[in-house]
Amino acid sequence: MYVNLFSMEETMKRIQVLASAAVAATLATGALADSHAWSLKRAAEPYAGTTIDVVFLLRPGYEAIEAMLPAFEEETGIKVNIIKHPYENALGEQVRDFVAGGDLDIALIDLVWIGNFAENEWILPIEEFTSNPDLVDPDLDIDDFFPLVLNAFGGWNGVVYGLPFDNYSGLLFYNNCMLEAAGFDGPPATWQELKDVYGPALTKDGKYAFALQSKRNETQSADSFARVIWPFGGSFLDENFRSNLLSEESQAGLKFRQDLMQYMPDGIVAYDHAETVNAFAQGDVAMITEWSAFYSTVVSPDTSKVADCVAIAPEPTGPAGRKPALGGFSLAVASQADDDEKAASWLFIQWATSKANAGEYLQRGGVPARHSAYADPALVETFKFIPALVESWQDGVPEFRPRFAEWPEITEIVQEWGSKIMLGEVSTEEGARILGERMEAVLEEAGYYSGDKPLAQ
Amino acid sequence: MRGKVSRRTVFAFIGPAVIGLAMVGIAPLLYAGWTSLHFFNLTKLRRVKFIGLDNYESVLTDPVFWEAMGRTFALLGTALPLQIVFGLGIALVLHQPRLSLLKTLTRLSLVLPMATTYAVVGLLGQVMFNQKFGVVNQLLGGVNVNWIGDPNNAFIMIIFWDVWQWTPFVALVLLAGLTMVPVEIEEAARLETRKWWTVLRYVQFPYLVPGLVAILILRTADTLKLFDMVFTLTRGGPGSSTEFISLMIQRVGFRGFDQGLASAQAIILLIITIVLAQLYIRAFYKEV
Amino acid sequence: MSGNRRGQVWGQAAVLVLILLLCVFPFYWMVTTSLKTHVVALEAPPVWIFEPTLENYREALFEDGVLLTLINSLIIAVVTTALALALGVPAAFALARFDFRGKRDLWFWFITNRMVSPIVLALPFFLIARNLGLLDKHVTLILIYLTFNLPIVIWIVTDQFRGVPYDLDEAARLEGASQFRIMRSICLPLAMPGVAVSAIFSFIFSWNELMYGLILTRNDAKTAPAMAVSFMEGYNLPYGKIMATSTLIVIPVLIFALLASKQLVRGLTMGAVK
Repeated sequence: MYVNLFSMEETMKRIQVLASAAVAATLATGALADSHAWSLKRAAEPYAGTTIDVVFLLRPGYEAIEAMLPAFEEETGIKVNIIKHPYENALGEQVRDFVAGGDLDIALIDLVWIGNFAENEWILPIEEFTSNPDLVDPDLDIDDFFPLVLNAFGGWNGVVYGLPFDNYSGLLFYNNCMLEAAGFDGPPATWQELKDVYGPALTKDGKYAFALQSKRNETQSADSFARVIWPFGGSFLDENFRSNLLSEESQAGLKFRQDLMQYMPDGIVAYDHAETVNAFAQGDVAMITEWSAFYSTVVSPDTSKVADCVAIAPEPTGPAGRKPALGGFSLAVASQADDDEKAASWLFIQWATSKANAGEYLQRGGVPARHSAYADPALVETFKFIPALVESWQDGVPEFRPRFAEWPEITEIVQEWGSKIMLGEVSTEEGARILGERMEAVLEEAGYYSGDKPLAQ
Repeated sequence: MRGKVSRRTVFAFIGPAVIGLAMVGIAPLLYAGWTSLHFFNLTKLRRVKFIGLDNYESVLTDPVFWEAMGRTFALLGTALPLQIVFGLGIALVLHQPRLSLLKTLTRLSLVLPMATTYAVVGLLGQVMFNQKFGVVNQLLGGVNVNWIGDPNNAFIMIIFWDVWQWTPFVALVLLAGLTMVPVEIEEAARLETRKWWTVLRYVQFPYLVPGLVAILILRTADTLKLFDMVFTLTRGGPGSSTEFISLMIQRVGFRGFDQGLASAQAIILLIITIVLAQLYIRAFYKEV
Repeated sequence: MSGNRRGQVWGQAAVLVLILLLCVFPFYWMVTTSLKTHVVALEAPPVWIFEPTLENYREALFEDGVLLTLINSLIIAVVTTALALALGVPAAFALARFDFRGKRDLWFWFITNRMVSPIVLALPFFLIARNLGLLDKHVTLILIYLTFNLPIVIWIVTDQFRGVPYDLDEAARLEGASQFRIMRSICLPLAMPGVAVSAIFSFIFSWNELMYGLILTRNDAKTAPAMAVSFMEGYNLPYGKIMATSTLIVIPVLIFALLASKQLVRGLTMGAVK
């Protein structure tokens, strides 16, 4: 009980006294007692009244945490100031803030931004906090995060910076009623099957078999381009960081996408997630490959006409196996914050991604990245996407999109030429050639070919 | 004798405006000039270095930049004539006698499009031109035109909104010009001829010229600046079909973070704008 | 009245009604969409008759803070317009009435500022404002908006002053009136239509400005157009709410424009001189 009243300073003093007494046993029991007694309330005591600034998106996972936030603020006295941005503005907003030494105390990191943020030293490794017993929750249990997700969303070059917060895997959502009516008793297992068997059977009467969101923004790169090259054995770069887009495998993927477009609605190049999910929810499209986060949208009768027909499977496999789209966000402490803000930010991040909160987060529409959260078999009843999600996270490609600092420039090139290929303005070879040249020019400039930079993606 | 005043008086009148605008306007322009001569990527600020005119060279030899420029002038070349033809037509109809109540109502309604927030016009476009739930396809008799997802249709849609928003401005400027024609001259002319074209050409046109020049300058500059409406409507897509010059610069500078290159693009754009404005003014604007 | 003549009148009336409908219909559609629930808004083909709801407005105003952005936009637009007039009207008077060296170049420089794409200046403004601690402040936008408002005021009002006959101030000067007095008491009243138009335009342009508002503000000084685009998340487009926000943003400026339309029509002569 006495520990309750200790401020950090006093704790330090006490440890010093104990250390100077050099009674090892006492120290050990003391530390044990301390860790046993760790509580968020106590850890946050020195930082009560601190305000921390963070960028959030307008997506379900963020709304979930926002709804849970009062409990955190109540307990800690830390005020969390949320600045909401659509995804498209979130990177620019944060980059400008970090460049200018602004107010943000936490970085919201899409997995493709991590190399950029880490190399600029805008974010701190979690080591800074996990090594501090006053701040680290004994129940943090880093190993409980899916390793793929932790490394891809929060890690760079072997260092963990962020904890996975808003987590996605690509899943196949299908309209079971439409599939059954067409005589199918399950979803396609492979991409080839999806195109050759399900495509013709389900594309009729103004309905389409499939929709692949391909709008010219990150969606084109992440959801469309990358999604077709990997399952066919292709990739963006070879081991020497030269373009691999002209390889037989990458070309097979891109050609597959061109072919598949006959079973998609017109103007698919203008479809972002919203349009794609709407088309599915309105019953116009039989199958989509979308992020797990859309589950609540397609099964809620308020937003979906096909709520009762929705079924979910992992993404189909290609010749190279199952390579589902991987995406998601981690939260990391910003290096520009002052010491109090850093500690307070860490406490918030730790709380938001904690084991203890994972259940509520899931219930409120978020998707936690912790094994333990999905252990309860009863949950699968409520959240039909869980088995497919867990399976997708078992193994995947962390560099599904390269995560290095050059990605923001390269994604612009992918978006431009990927769209041109889809529109038929250039052939898949010609488009891939130009794309590759421009991509290599960026990498050249960055120093990957002269040996100035390690080949990390 | 008229207009001769001491330099102090001149300065007292014009000084505050010059200083005010210089303070706000010049520093950032110099800054942009400086970045345009450097490798200046926001996410690589540790590697800022002077590279002379390299950025300008990249811009001048980049086909994508010139495609965007060409697209911008294609928009100006189609939208502006439409605006002038429709605007003049509307002005002439409003200048007719009779139907004063209806004319007043129409004149009032003309004010609405030009006052509408440009970003909102784009959002409105998304709702109205949607292939499925858009009202435009419904009003066209239930057709199934894909406006936003088809490169050519998207371009047409942008032209539509540009014409919708700015034809009223053209109409009101030209209407103001028409009302400047002294009544007795116009009436005398109408007694001479019954051809409205002749009256327009020889009597009214001289009064319309200053307005037309202003329209030409403003619409040229605004088309080169065009951003908000397209950003909210198509974001330059599908593909690059509506990526006008300002959208492209925004993409390079704020999404690719290459501010050096974007500044060079912007400065080349500025030079083109100034040259055009000078040409227009030299050609038509006798005053000043 | 001959049949031909009557036909003409009908034709004229039809054209007027058509223009009126074209101008007004998009607003009608915006408002009706804003009263639809998400599911109704996505109904295909669109429905014209439905049960309206104010839910979108409640969310926009009270949950997303549109109200604050409207107040911000109002403050910024009013102050910058006033400032542009205070600086621009005397300058326009000098440009119209005084002879001095470099006058033409100076006029051209003013006008040029109106043509600079905000893309050019947005990042420099951001970095400068950051260094001066002026991010997310009203005053920043008020000053920056001068770059396009001052040129408009100077352009229009210079033309107006030029249209005021010289004999009037000649007489006043003989009586010993100062230039300032001449401007204020003699020329300004006659140039009022132009001043009004330039003020109206300044207000409208400032209210509608997006790029600077997006980049230089965050919470406290966030403007209405920046708010309008902030729901454009590729994840979910709440069309009803977007249209409700749009309506809230557009209504004030439309009312203003309607109230000012008389001046607008009279003053838009852009240098046509009687």
